[in-house]
Amino acid sequence: MQEKEIVLSVNHICKSFYDNQVLENVSIALKKGEILAILGENGAGKSTLMKIVSGIYPAGSYTGTIEVQGKEKTFRNPRDAQNAGIAMIYQEINLELDLTVAENIFVGHIPKTPRGMVDWKRMKKEAEAVLKTLGIELDVTMLVRNLSASIQQLICIARSLILNPHVLILDEPTAALTESETKFLVDILRKLQGEGISCIYISHKLEEVFHISDRVVVLRDGTCISEYSGPEYDSEQIVEDIIGRKMEKMYPSVPKTIGEEVLRVEDFTVPHPYNKKVNIVDHVSFSVRAGEVLGLAGLVGAGRSETLRAVYGIMKKKAGCIFLDGKELAMPRGKTASGYGISLLNEDRKRDGYVKSMNVRQNLTLSYLDKLKKGPFIDKKKEKELAEKYFKMLHIKAPSLDAGILSLSGGNQQKVLLGKCIITNPRVLLLDEPTRGVDVGAKSEIYRVIADLAAGGMSIVIVSSELPELYALCDRFVVLSNGRVSGELEKEEASQVKIMNLSCKQTTGRNREEIRG
Amino acid sequence: MSREQTGIKKELIIKNIFRVKEIGIMIPTILLIIIVQMVNPLFLTKLNVLSILRSSGYMLIPALGMTLILISGGLDLSVGSVYGLGGVVTAYFLTNGVPIFPSVLLGLLSGMACGILNGVVIVKLKIPPIMMTLGMYYMARGLVYVITQGTPIFPLPEAFKAIEQQNMILGIPTAVVCAMILAAVFFIIMRYTVYGRKIYAIGGNIETARVAGINIDAIMISLYAIIGTLSALDGVLMSSRLGSGQPSAGTGYELQVIAAVVIGGTSTYGGKGTLAGTVIGVIFMNILSSSMTIMKISAYWQNFVIGAALVVAVIIDQIKRSKTAED
Repeated sequence: MQEKEIVLSVNHICKSFYDNQVLENVSIALKKGEILAILGENGAGKSTLMKIVSGIYPAGSYTGTIEVQGKEKTFRNPRDAQNAGIAMIYQEINLELDLTVAENIFVGHIPKTPRGMVDWKRMKKEAEAVLKTLGIELDVTMLVRNLSASIQQLICIARSLILNPHVLILDEPTAALTESETKFLVDILRKLQGEGISCIYISHKLEEVFHISDRVVVLRDGTCISEYSGPEYDSEQIVEDIIGRKMEKMYPSVPKTIGEEVLRVEDFTVPHPYNKKVNIVDHVSFSVRAGEVLGLAGLVGAGRSETLRAVYGIMKKKAGCIFLDGKELAMPRGKTASGYGISLLNEDRKRDGYVKSMNVRQNLTLSYLDKLKKGPFIDKKKEKELAEKYFKMLHIKAPSLDAGILSLSGGNQQKVLLGKCIITNPRVLLLDEPTRGVDVGAKSEIYRVIADLAAGGMSIVIVSSELPELYALCDRFVVLSNGRVSGELEKEEASQVKIMNLSCKQTTGRNREEIRG
Repeated sequence: MSREQTGIKKELIIKNIFRVKEIGIMIPTILLIIIVQMVNPLFLTKLNVLSILRSSGYMLIPALGMTLILISGGLDLSVGSVYGLGGVVTAYFLTNGVPIFPSVLLGLLSGMACGILNGVVIVKLKIPPIMMTLGMYYMARGLVYVITQGTPIFPLPEAFKAIEQQNMILGIPTAVVCAMILAAVFFIIMRYTVYGRKIYAIGGNIETARVAGINIDAIMISLYAIIGTLSALDGVLMSSRLGSGQPSAGTGYELQVIAAVVIGGTSTYGGKGTLAGTVIGVIFMNILSSSMTIMKISAYWQNFVIGAALVVAVIIDQIKRSKTAED
C-alpha cells in the first residue's frame, strides 16, 4: 500500500468563519485507489474541508495548499476542481427530476455536434456506457423522477464519472438509502476502487464506514485527532476520539423531583420525505415524566427531528398515538399540538424559527396571540409586559423589544425563539438542537433556562447533535438509529460511549423486538 | 446647548423622519405636486383635485385588499374581472326589477363568492395563487360576458345612479368616502388586531406561522374573500357612476392596483407593507396620470412612466432587503 502514489493531498489547511476557527492546520493525503473515511461529529469541520477540496470555498478564503498528483492547484470554483479530477457527490440528491437520465448525467457538459446542437446520439451512447461501468443497465431516456432513490444516487455518481475523476468525494451517500441499496452502492465503490479511483467517504454510520474504508481519519473541533488503518478497527477508541471533549463546567445542576408520566408517544411511524419506501421514523415509542429531561439521541438522519416534528403535528405521520396524562390526544389533521400544552423549538431558526420581518416583541408573542386578545384587538399593554418579562428572564441582549430580530446575534435570536416556546407555559417542551449556531455564553444561559424549567415541573425532550451537551442535560436517553429505537439508558448507566455505540448500531427488525420485550 | 448638540438633535430628527416607512413615496409625491403646479397652475383647482380624489378613491378600494393579500404572501390577478362582475350583476338585477339594496348586495356577494373560491382552491388544493386567480380572471370575465351578452346593461334606476353621480357627503364623492372609511378600518385591523398581526406573520414566514398554531387556511381564505368583495364593491360604484353595467369595465385594473400597492412600499415577498403606504401609492399613481394630462404629455407616455415608477419602487425594496442582511 505504502508505495502507491499520492493523488490528492491537502496541507496545513486553516479556515475560519468570522472569529470562529473551523479548521486548524489540517493535512490529509489520499493514495491512489484508496477509500478514506473521514469521521467526526457535526461541526467537526468535515463538510468545510470537503467544500474546500471541491472548490466551493474558493482559494483565498482559507490558508494552506492543495496538491493534485504532486502539483499545487488553486481552485477558484467547483469547475476548477472538476477539471483537476475531483468530483463531489452531495448528501442531497440534486438531480433535475424532469429531465432524462442522460441529460442529468451530462448536465453542464452536454456534447455538441459541429453545428452547435445537442449531440443526442453521443450523449445517449456515452450515458449508457458510463452506467454500464457501474453495473446497471437503464433506459437513459427515462425521466429521473420515476426512478428510485438508490438509482438516483447512482446517477449522481455516473454524472461525476464522465469527467474521469481521480478522486470521488461522497458526503453521506447512504442517508436516504435502505440497507440493500447501501450494499449495492458499496459494491460499486469497490469496483471503482479496482479501476484506480480514490474515494473520500463521509458517513455517520460507523459500521458501514469500517466495512468499506481502507483508512479512517478522525476530525474533532477542526483538527485531525487520529488516523487508523483497516481492515480491523478499534471502534471504541474511535468513538472516544470522535467525542473527545471533557465535560465542561457549563451545565447547572438544579435540584428537582421527577413526577408522573406526562407525555407518552407510541408507535410513531413517519415516511421519509424523499423516499416514501423508507420510514425515517419507524415504530418509535417513548415517554417523559413531569420535571424530566429526556434526550433523544442518535446520529443525523436517525429520525430524531422528524419524531419531534411528527409529535408536534407539522410532519405527516403514517401511524402512532400521543397520550397526555394517560389520555389519548385526538389531534385533528393539520392542527399542531400547541393547543394541548406542547411547544416545539425547531432546529433551523431561519426556515421555521423566527419571522424575519418582525421585531423581538412580535416574535416572542407570536404563538401566544390568541391569549392576548381584547375583543379583536391585541392587548398591547399586556403584550409588552409579557414580552418584557421573558426578555429579562432570558437575558436577551438587544437594544430594545422593538429591535428587528435580524439585528440580533444567533444566540440572542435563539433565546427569543426559546421565549416564544415557553411564553405559552407548556407542559411539554420539545427542543430540536436548542444550541445550534449559538455562542458559548448564550449556550450556558440556555442550559440554565432548561434546568430551571425542568425544576419547575416541565417535561422536556431534547434532540442535540452535541453529545456532551445532551449527556449533561438529560436525565434519561432514548437512542434512535435508522429511525428505530436502538436502546434506552437511564442517566446512571449511560455514558457518551454507550450512547454513541447505540447510535451506530444497525438496528434490524429482530433486535427491535428484543428491546421492546 | 452647544452647537454640536443641536447638530446631533437635528440629525436625530432627520433620521426619525426617514424612519417613517412611507417617506420613500411621500417625498416624490410632494415633489411631483410642486413641480406640476409650477408648470401649470390649473393643477390644484377644485375640479382637478376632486377628479384626482375620485379616481384615487376607486383605485384605493381594491388596493386595500391587495395590500393585505401581498403582505400575506399571496396575489390576486382577478381583481379587474371581479370588479366587472360586481357591476354587471348588480345592473342585471336592477334592470330586472329587483330593488336597489338587494341588487347591490347580490353584486357584492358575487365578488365574495369569487374570492372564497380563489381562497379555497389555493389553500386546500395548494394551487399557486397566480394560477388560480389567473383562472378566475378568465372565469369572472367570462361570466360578465354571459350575463351581458357583450352589450352594456341599462337603463339603471335614477336612485341607483344618484349614489355616485349626485350624492356628495360634505362635497366629497361617495366612492371617496367609502374608500376613506374602509382605509381607516383596514388600517386599524392591520395595526391593532390579532388578525392583522397573523397576516404579517404568515407573509413573513409561513412555516413559523404554522408552528405557532396560526390558522393559515382560514385567514388566507378570508383575505381572498375580502379582496373579492372590495373589487365587486368598486365595480358596483362604477356602474352607478356610469349609469350602466359595462361588460369591459375593469379590464387590466388588477395590474394598476398591484402597481400602486407596490409603489406604496408593500413587499412582493410578503410580510412587509402598510396601508398608509398604499394610500399614498394610489394617490401618487393618480397624480402622475393627471399631471401628465395637464402638462399635455401624450397619454401614450403615461404607461411608460408608471412602469418606470414601479420598477424603481421594486428596486428600492430590494436594496432595503439586502441592507438588512437577509441571505
